[in-house]
Amino acid sequence: MTESSLIEVKNLKKYYEISQGLFKPKLVVKAVDDVSFSIKRGETFALVGESGCGKSTTGKTLLRLTDATSGEVRFKGEDILSLPYEKMRSLRKEMQMVFQDPYASLNPKMTIRQILLEPLRVHKKYSPEERMKKIVDILEIVGLSRSHLDRHPNEFSGGQRQRIGIARAVVLNPDFIIADEPVSALDVSVQSQVINLMLELQKEFGLTYLFISHDLSVVEHMTDRVAVMYLGKIVELADTEELFANPKHPYTQALISAVPVSHPKDVKERIVLKGDVPNPANPPSGCTFHTRCPFVMDKCKSVEPSLTEIGNGHITSCHLYSKNKEENINAIIYS
Amino acid sequence: MTEVLLEIKDLGIQFKTGEGAIQPIRGVNFTLKKGETLGVVGESGSGKSVTSLAVMGLLPEKKSKIVSGSILFNNEDITHLNERQYRKLRGNEMSMIFQEPMTSLNPVFTIGEQLGEPLKQHKKMSKKERKEAIIKILKQVGIPRAEQIINDYPHQLSGGMRQRVMISLALLCEPKLLICDEPTTALDVTIQAQILELMKQIKAEKNMSLLFITHDLGVVAEMCDRVVVMYAGEIVEVAEINELFDNPLHPYTKGLIDSLPTNNARKSKLYSIKGQVPKPDEIGKGCAFANRCPYAFNKCVESAPPTFSKGEHLSKCWLQESDRQVNIQ
Repeated sequence: MTESSLIEVKNLKKYYEISQGLFKPKLVVKAVDDVSFSIKRGETFALVGESGCGKSTTGKTLLRLTDATSGEVRFKGEDILSLPYEKMRSLRKEMQMVFQDPYASLNPKMTIRQILLEPLRVHKKYSPEERMKKIVDILEIVGLSRSHLDRHPNEFSGGQRQRIGIARAVVLNPDFIIADEPVSALDVSVQSQVINLMLELQKEFGLTYLFISHDLSVVEHMTDRVAVMYLGKIVELADTEELFANPKHPYTQALISAVPVSHPKDVKERIVLKGDVPNPANPPSGCTFHTRCPFVMDKCKSVEPSLTEIGNGHITSCHLYSKNKEENINAIIYS
Repeated sequence: MTEVLLEIKDLGIQFKTGEGAIQPIRGVNFTLKKGETLGVVGESGSGKSVTSLAVMGLLPEKKSKIVSGSILFNNEDITHLNERQYRKLRGNEMSMIFQEPMTSLNPVFTIGEQLGEPLKQHKKMSKKERKEAIIKILKQVGIPRAEQIINDYPHQLSGGMRQRVMISLALLCEPKLLICDEPTTALDVTIQAQILELMKQIKAEKNMSLLFITHDLGVVAEMCDRVVVMYAGEIVEVAEINELFDNPLHPYTKGLIDSLPTNNARKSKLYSIKGQVPKPDEIGKGCAFANRCPYAFNKCVESAPPTFSKGEHLSKCWLQESDRQVNIQ
């Protein structure tokens, strides 16, 4: 991998066990199954997929908010999955998280002052006087003011709370921020304000984002590279513009075509997938997407496709693009 | 002219709170024609759900009151019907699909039992006929293994399946009016696409009228014939769908359309409406949008604008006054 990558994820796995009863074998849910990617310094990397595909779990394992089953996560070259607890804790000042629900992620009993001072206090950054100055500065950057310091979260609207959540993450001056659906709980007019804020902060502090979202129009707008996940696996990874202009995996194609149009006169060729996402405790054999795929072949039912590069950092796992000549022709016809 | 199914005239609703009364709905007017899909767009707190609950007669009795105006359904005034009379309408003539498919089904009854309820209420059918009707409607909304599903409980179904069950529940008695309150907001995009397809198809088959409440302009663009835009308890704009997207007359509507990421260049700063929706008690005598409006001038703060019409296109903004007629493109 290149030197400029800030975080590298290799073969990350997170399995959950479900107890079926005392004498029955445990069911294993592969929430994240063999995921690898790397994020370059200063870029915005998106993980997209439907609920239950493992995108949030991936985010949480990167911060070790939940422990990985196996795999490797290198942050600035250091394998953080094997770090002792204390070290990991101090490393978190460089990697922070913004959560989805601004109503649930702020402690209702704390004032904004307490909420913003806490990370600085925990990580013993700056002297107490400097801390106050620092949090007032950050409040102003996110568009709130000193007068809000002694209020409680319930006095703010959803958009303002999300600003506070972002301020809390940025106040430590981290390098890397994981934003788990930061705008999906917000109204349209407020959503655009928060997206603008995140773009501004990125420019100002040189932040690297892992942006987890299911809203493809937001992803298209603000990210550099995208990984599409389905049932715990990455099925396609490419530069954002390339992915939206030229999606390869049938799932990505369906996902992009399912986004509602932005003008009633836009006519869209829509691929409507049949059925639901399969139960992750009992995933289909072969390619996990074969039960819903419009181009399914016999091979898909038995052989699991591997990630193949089809040029320019665009990788996808689909038999339509494996190196067989005949199949390549099919792929061109279908895509 | 096509027949009007639902007409709301100057509706005002008041809620009692600990500190006094607030009025989240002020002077709402619109009509829904037969066979039409009318979208109601607005942000949270704009009063779109409260309006739909008022139509269904589901407002909390002790805390709320319809203080002005009337609701006409099929040329009949249903504003002040009592509970008994409403029961005859609900589920029969009009029904509703709610946002949360997870919480709007009763977890302790099977799908079959829940779907049987409206039939028991409104239709004289034997047990066997009921079962047949339920299986037929479940198949119509695309549920596989309908014969077995009727014995399942809601938790055994996925979100998309539950929303399909909700739709079938609403359709059982073939209502004339179907109110959908954010029916796809809680669903994933691929499932949302399925459900929207299904609703279009069913609407075409049964010739119903849909009142489609959502905050997603993309969904509106796909589903609706006409759109009502609500802001802070008022209707600010009513227009035919293409007209609304091509030529919005109210700065709020324009702001909403412009702030969609797809309408902005990649990585650029998104257009955004500054500030936030005022709380019901913060609205002054002027236009409710004046404090966020980029075009606001003195008159906007002083008095609330009346509704101006430009053909079928209605808007509530001083810019549209006849001697002004500013184009906000």
